[in-house]
Amino acid sequence: MWAILSGIEGNLAAYEAVLADIKRQRVTVEELYILGDLVAAKPESEKVIKRIQNPLSGELQPQVCVGWWEEQCFALHGLGSLAEPTELIARYGKQTAKLLWDSVSRETVQWLRGLHFGFFELDCLLIHGSSVSVSDELTPQTPPWQMLDRLQRVQANSLFCGRSGQVFECQLQSASIATSVVTLDNKQPVQTVTTLQKRVVGVGNVGREAGKATYTLYNPKSARLDFKTVFYGCQKGFGS
Amino acid sequence: MKIAVMSCIHGNYEALNEVLIDIDRHSAEKIYCVGDLVGYGPYPNEVVKLIRSLDIPTAQGCWDEDIVEGLNACECSYPSLLAEKRGKLAHEWTNKEVHPEVRQYLAQLPHTLKENNLCFVHGSPNSNHEYLLPEMDAFAALERVLASNADVLFCGHTHIPYVRTLDSAQLQVKVHQPQNKEERSISFNAPLKRIINVGSVGEPRHGRPNATYVVYDTETEEVILREVEYDYKKTCQAIIDRGLPPIFAWRLARGLEFAEKADDPTHVCER
Repeated sequence: MWAILSGIEGNLAAYEAVLADIKRQRVTVEELYILGDLVAAKPESEKVIKRIQNPLSGELQPQVCVGWWEEQCFALHGLGSLAEPTELIARYGKQTAKLLWDSVSRETVQWLRGLHFGFFELDCLLIHGSSVSVSDELTPQTPPWQMLDRLQRVQANSLFCGRSGQVFECQLQSASIATSVVTLDNKQPVQTVTTLQKRVVGVGNVGREAGKATYTLYNPKSARLDFKTVFYGCQKGFGS
Repeated sequence: MKIAVMSCIHGNYEALNEVLIDIDRHSAEKIYCVGDLVGYGPYPNEVVKLIRSLDIPTAQGCWDEDIVEGLNACECSYPSLLAEKRGKLAHEWTNKEVHPEVRQYLAQLPHTLKENNLCFVHGSPNSNHEYLLPEMDAFAALERVLASNADVLFCGHTHIPYVRTLDSAQLQVKVHQPQNKEERSISFNAPLKRIINVGSVGEPRHGRPNATYVVYDTETEEVILREVEYDYKKTCQAIIDRGLPPIFAWRLARGLEFAEKADDPTHVCER
């Protein structure tokens, strides 16, 4: 079983609650994936990073990739593909940019720079946004052709993502299309192309909503999904 | 109405002239250009001047963009390391040569042109640098046309003309969200869509030195891929005389690029 989470967003209590929930599972969780947004403009971001870097005895070493907030850190520190944190400022304002700067040290940013863009395991892509970028937000409302494109780009059958923070499964079934190409020298006959069943999974969000964390368990052998909700803090006791 | 669509002139004045004569012969009422007016060829200023004088609606190409913004894309600007090495030499030459008003004109070119159900882009609706190759996954190709919100997507960039028909697309989707008890099943259908790659006027790569462009009838939806002979030797001589790397003359005379292909032509530069 894999535990797949995203969006801790500097919320240590939420991360601890999810780790505790993973330990409570009857099935053994063999891999722990964190699909980015470990940090946010929150003072506990550094503590979250330390906790991820130093799992307790018997805990899994998380496999971590970069998310949207990490990309904003890179832009702030002049280490990313973006020259300016324009997306961050446009979305949250300069005050948040300053808070992010104060919340994540340069040393941590350097560590974050070494993280993967995503993971390709078996026929699954595990990534923060999509095969296009960390900002690419897939939701149940995303046009299905766009979802199929994101899967086809990397020849994956399942795409696990966390950018939207939503928990969902979109199964793309029985797609077909008739296509032909004419060039100056050739006329290719019409071919009907079909795809195997594919899916996009929103794995939820750990730290954005106070008191409530969501994450996903996935069995790669049976391809079974189990969406988990963990209540913690004052709402504790209502886990599902 | 008949329209003519062309791309990738690349400073080849001789080829452009001959194509314009051919367009006249086909009685096209309007001409569109999907960029790359400059680069590789010996007459960037003259080509821009002619395009402007004819008031041809033009979308910005990757070369036009790079001349304005500098070569700040990641390695995706070129389909191969060899193409990149050669391209950089041509970029330096063109960058020195273009007049300020030409640079200004290239800077204000739009990424996309839209005319009713037709869309005109250089590479793809995502980027000037993306290659829509004829062998691209059919669903990905359809997504590009749908993203343009058009029925016909005209593009260039690959320098090889083709017409790709995408028809009878169907997709069944089942959506499950834990907060909603019931699964939703939705069927999607896409009507006939087409990608028309208009080839290259000034730097063809289809195996012959002739210029290529497209004539499209908006009423009958007929597409004619045009191949036009011109005095390419004159352009080859000018490439050498004006101090551009001779390789560009050599390959222009053969209508081939002679470089390895891109690992991921759909990669979108995030500069």
